[in-house]
Amino acid sequence: MVRFTESTITFPYTRSLGPVVGAFMTALTEKRILGIRNGEQVICPPMEWDPSTGAELPRDLVEVGPAGTVDSWTWVPEPTEQHPLDRPFAFAFVRLDGASTPLLHAVDASSPDAMSDGMRVAPRWKGQRIGHLTDIACFVPGEEPQVDGDDLGPAAEPVQMMDYLARITYRNPVPPSSDLVVDASRQHRLVGFRCPGCGKTYVGGRGVCPIDSVEFGEEHLVELPHTGTITNHVVITPVQYPGQTETEPFARVFVLLDGSDAVLGYQPVIELPVEDVAVGVRVSAVWASPGEESDEGGGMGGAFGSLIGWMPNGEPPVDDPDLVNRIF
Amino acid sequence: MIPAAVVGVGQTHHKTRRRDVSFGGLVREAVFRALDDAQMTMADIDAVVLGKAPDLFEGVMKPELYLSDALGAVGKPMFRVHTAGSVGGTTGIVAASHVQGGKHKTVLAVAFEKQSEGNAQFALGSGKGASLGAGGSFAPFIRSYIHRSGAPEHIGWKVAVKDRQNALKNPYAHLKIEDISIEKVKSSPMMWEPIRFLESCPSSDGACAVVITDEEGARGRTPAWILGASSRSEPPAFPGRDPVRPLACLTCATDVYQQAGITRPREQIDMAELYVPFSWHEPMWLEAHFLAEEGDGWKLTDAGDTEIGGSMPINCSGGVLSSNPIGASGLLRFAEAALQVRGAAGEHQVDGCRTALGMAYGANSQYFSMWVVADSLQPFG
Ligand SMILES: [Zn+2]
Repeated sequence: MVRFTESTITFPYTRSLGPVVGAFMTALTEKRILGIRNGEQVICPPMEWDPSTGAELPRDLVEVGPAGTVDSWTWVPEPTEQHPLDRPFAFAFVRLDGASTPLLHAVDASSPDAMSDGMRVAPRWKGQRIGHLTDIACFVPGEEPQVDGDDLGPAAEPVQMMDYLARITYRNPVPPSSDLVVDASRQHRLVGFRCPGCGKTYVGGRGVCPIDSVEFGEEHLVELPHTGTITNHVVITPVQYPGQTETEPFARVFVLLDGSDAVLGYQPVIELPVEDVAVGVRVSAVWASPGEESDEGGGMGGAFGSLIGWMPNGEPPVDDPDLVNRIF
Repeated sequence: MIPAAVVGVGQTHHKTRRRDVSFGGLVREAVFRALDDAQMTMADIDAVVLGKAPDLFEGVMKPELYLSDALGAVGKPMFRVHTAGSVGGTTGIVAASHVQGGKHKTVLAVAFEKQSEGNAQFALGSGKGASLGAGGSFAPFIRSYIHRSGAPEHIGWKVAVKDRQNALKNPYAHLKIEDISIEKVKSSPMMWEPIRFLESCPSSDGACAVVITDEEGARGRTPAWILGASSRSEPPAFPGRDPVRPLACLTCATDVYQQAGITRPREQIDMAELYVPFSWHEPMWLEAHFLAEEGDGWKLTDAGDTEIGGSMPINCSGGVLSSNPIGASGLLRFAEAALQVRGAAGEHQVDGCRTALGMAYGANSQYFSMWVVADSLQPFG
């Protein structure tokens, strides 16, 4: 039975809109909808180029709508939080008056019975408009545009950028080897896997040997020592991106375990100031206090399970010129 | 294999932010310059190959679909390439393979990044906290190189100065540091010891495009013949892995030289564009591409051999150290190699350049892409 973990990534991206979509978004704040002329056609929403040939279009923007005709539609009976409306609605291709191409948007209709191909719809504008397609809250049946609440007017400046908050939730399978490593770490045991193919020892819960693809299981487990030597290191000055957990420069070190060919990559250090991080420093494993444990399997380096990092153990440093080359 | 040649090269002016253009507007600047250079239009293109860094950089999933109409690819085969930082190079290789295999006559390779729309360190950390960033990943490799080669610390500074001086000759380069000097580099902040701020690449918005065609298509145009093209990869981490001389790099270089008929790379290659995001990669890659003996790469840099006018000019365009729209950076290396053998590199042209190497690498120094281009199909007689 494969176990899965769920994780969510969120990031506030921006979008440079460019001259054509920027003008479209700016017009939305003015409760106007623009298309662009492409020969005999008017494309709405407007594009910078001919969608079929890629040819550059002259910047001939024309106002369309505000009312239009539904070309086709589909009913959304159970909206999710990502949908534009919190009640059942239709997604429809709306061909605005004067446009040759349809615009995809929501139609707020009471039931599928209220929807039909060829029906007339008009925009319901938001009172506060920022230059986003959702400045049109939705379309409503009829010819008359509406405004939700107080009309706060158009944007003060031309709209050139759009914020885009991306969010995605993953479900990742956890290899059994990751659980073995994390479970052992709960008992303050450091275990690795010795590959029967290449004979190399891997620390952390990666599922397979990257050299010959042997899948690791309990039969490959080996106990590893809790002491080692720093072979190489890096000090990171954190960039304060959204989701960053670090505020001060922090070190990551590579630890060659005693009596082993196994190097643990990108390990945190404890009670070792960044200026004292050096090749040859002797260190011992540090285990989490109750409540500090993580479920990370360490498959890609870093701390894992109840192993939270390494601290100097007071032994004299090792002077070995080849240590620095043991990064992996 | 059908001979294939680059007959058109285009790129944007690389900048920290190109807020004035959409993604489509950005790639089209490079595409139309490449088509103009090839004296072609979108109608002459049979297939399009798009490369960029992972989608997390800008948060656009499947940008190849989103950009297909901007690239004039409607009704044509469209391919996406994913090989991390080496992707631009691999994009060129995939495009070339469609021509070499006889599947398509003329193929457009496009690569881009609009780094300003997201955050690279966030993306490189897979969206988690405590991301190491690229400098954090590579600093230990550089420490290992310095240790084993015994190179003095000023080598890194020299590369940083040389590439920025080359960038002053390249109208498209991002960083234009008029008063660049050893003094300025060595007094810049230490970022990831031993890498200083001015020994690091910038973060850029930009795009690059090349047009690749067959012998008939190349007639009447200025071709850069693709004599060899190769890519290799290796796992990111395993005991004993050597990131200073990655096996994938050594085997990729060996393969591309063999395809091109190169037996003495140091003499037969007139210039190379190597992917050098941090200054120390220059001596490291000179050695891992057999352009210098093991342990001697830094001596070429120190002697000025890697300058324009030196015996082994490296990164005449200013390199990744001067412009880094990540996804495009690899194709920019390949494109500069093509410009050089076509005699079209302007102020940063190497006199008499007939054979050039373009190279890109990516992820944890584990993906490698290379091509060798020349002004004729048989440059060595
Ligand atoms: Zn193995």
